[in-house]
Amino acid sequence: MTTNSKDMRKTWEKIADYFRAHSIWMKWYCTGCGAIEMPPTMTSRFDMEQLGMGPMATPRQADVLLITGYLSAKTLRRVIYSYEQMQDPKYVVGFGSCTLNGGIYFDSYATMTRLDHYLPVDLYIAGCMPRPEAIMNAFDTLIKMIEKGEAKGWRHYQENHDWYRKNQLHSLKEVYVKDEFHE
Amino acid sequence: MNSMNKLVEELKGRFTLLEVLLPDQQQLIVDIDQMHLHALLSHLKATGFRQLSLLTAVDWIEENTFQLVYIVFNWDTGIHVLVRTKLPRDKAVFRTITGIYPGAQYYERDVHEFFGVAFEGNVMSFKPLFLELWDELPPMRKDFDPEAYSREKFPERPYVPQFVPKVEVVE
Ligand code: SF4
Repeated sequence: MTTNSKDMRKTWEKIADYFRAHSIWMKWYCTGCGAIEMPPTMTSRFDMEQLGMGPMATPRQADVLLITGYLSAKTLRRVIYSYEQMQDPKYVVGFGSCTLNGGIYFDSYATMTRLDHYLPVDLYIAGCMPRPEAIMNAFDTLIKMIEKGEAKGWRHYQENHDWYRKNQLHSLKEVYVKDEFHE
Repeated sequence: MNSMNKLVEELKGRFTLLEVLLPDQQQLIVDIDQMHLHALLSHLKATGFRQLSLLTAVDWIEENTFQLVYIVFNWDTGIHVLVRTKLPRDKAVFRTITGIYPGAQYYERDVHEFFGVAFEGNVMSFKPLFLELWDELPPMRKDFDPEAYSREKFPERPYVPQFVPKVEVVE
């Protein structure tokens, strides 16, 4: 996201952002291979709780949506659902080169080539796949961004909803999820 | 190896096989024409090949044929049999085997979705399985161009090389 150098936040927002930055619940959507780097990040080896982050099972209670890897058209519909269920403020982290530019699946008929066309990505982690060190580094950056009020993807999504919706519909035709097993 | 020899002899005696190959000790490949495939599969099922491990297709675009591959497995002897048959590409219709192996239901849906082979007698096989709202050629056909599709549907990130150093070639 583009960041304004001028801080437009009100005082209470600054305080709120300070607290938000230090208590982050993360929902990770394990779409691609990168999900395998999450267990060491969360457990004792790298222990993301040292940053004040914890895993969250549902999108409604989560602050961060972590997209770990490529998204197929089918998953993207579910991810958009999950994202829209989350409460503001919410942050999206794109993980791996597949979310950046399609990675090795750039020419696949089934996978998206760039995530920020469909959802406002606050931070990308490059690499195929990024090591837990890189993830911890990214979380650290994300915390700083939230504290400074630079992670404004959710607002961008609200303000440019038409643009995002147009892209979603162009690639997916319909965002509505039809699931055979829930018919 | 013994049970394999017996199996080959038996199948050769009962069916007109177009080709028999033994790629491995425990693997047998038989090519058969469309008419006799169902008889062969029912025979295999009745003689211990209880499991249908896979049904898939190969697109031989230059020969203008689709090849269907049925892999069945015998848990007692550990033998795999690959039963293969060819269909004309422009008339890709075959009959279902769900009467013999009910589990083929999903494989037939899969093959129909990705290759466009229709299975008569299996109404369910026309339902999409993995792809949602697909409106193009079945994607595993060789004449489908995934890259062009991806370009059109999923816009790419414009690539601006910023870190590429200028290299002067010294001769
Ligand atoms: S970036 Fe690499 S590791 Fe991550 S989903 Fe893509 S191919 Fe897999």
